[in-house]
Amino acid sequence: MPRYHFHIRENGRLIRDEEGQELPDKDAVRKEAVETGASIARDVFMNGSAKLVVVDVQKEDRTCLKVSISLSVEE
Amino acid sequence: MANSTWDALLRRLRTTSVIDEDDVAALGSLPVDLRTLGPAEYVVRDGQKSTACCLLAEGFCIRAKTTWEGRRQILSIHIPGEIPDLQSLYLHVMDHDLMTLTESLVGYIPHTALQDLVRRRPNLVAALWRDSLVDAAMFREWIVNVGQRPATSRLAHIVVELRARLKVIGRGEGDRVEMPLTQEQIGEAMGITPIHANRIIKQLREEGVLEFRRGHVSVLDESKLQELAHFDDRYLHLKPSQ
Repeated sequence: MPRYHFHIRENGRLIRDEEGQELPDKDAVRKEAVETGASIARDVFMNGSAKLVVVDVQKEDRTCLKVSISLSVEE
Repeated sequence: MANSTWDALLRRLRTTSVIDEDDVAALGSLPVDLRTLGPAEYVVRDGQKSTACCLLAEGFCIRAKTTWEGRRQILSIHIPGEIPDLQSLYLHVMDHDLMTLTESLVGYIPHTALQDLVRRRPNLVAALWRDSLVDAAMFREWIVNVGQRPATSRLAHIVVELRARLKVIGRGEGDRVEMPLTQEQIGEAMGITPIHANRIIKQLREEGVLEFRRGHVSVLDESKLQELAHFDDRYLHLKPSQ
């Protein structure tokens, strides 16, 4: 199974995923990326530390999928 | 007489319950089939019918349940001296998995022997009943943890709880807490993906709260840890009067 690295960006801050994960196919990668992004977004949106979460999924050092989740509040 | 098989259990029961020397002798005379299991081995599986309860004499285990989609939730972490499947004495078919995290020494005690013991020793009935009730209290706390606390607090709470329980059996001293969970397993205990768990682990290290290493976690700043965990040990009922 190919290994994917899920690097996280919160606003400008990068959190690298050195370990990576082996996943069977593109669907599983997408699912994992969306769930990770949504789960982190919930945390950082609630505590106010970021308004944008990007999951940059890389396979062999090249981006193969990018999930962006942003918060916008209109008052 | 008690031997090393029973040490951790006796240490805990003497702190948390009221037992006398006859109870200790009765426990020590139970037939125990001791087996060494490797890491990540099933002790007993979901759906399995069991005829013995498993005393964790040494090592670490988890209880877990896996959804239809294959997603696993770790329900509890178990330390030496615990009987994580005590419920099987009366609930004969397992409704979750019990598996090892590390190499573990597991003592299989036949249900028939335990049933005979509880008929003879009322103190032990109370002690084991208390154990099951505390087990349920811990699950309540874990539901609150997974459902309501932000991720950093959630992990801080798991660490502080584990430390409090290890301390009862004389293994929680100093700023090092035995916690042999991988990043993925930490995620499964918190109900988040491994990548999110990785992010939380890194954040706690960068903020100088906790440092996770292979097999254990170091407390870098006790007051920051307390501030995050808001841990109240009341639900562990550590004294017989509680």
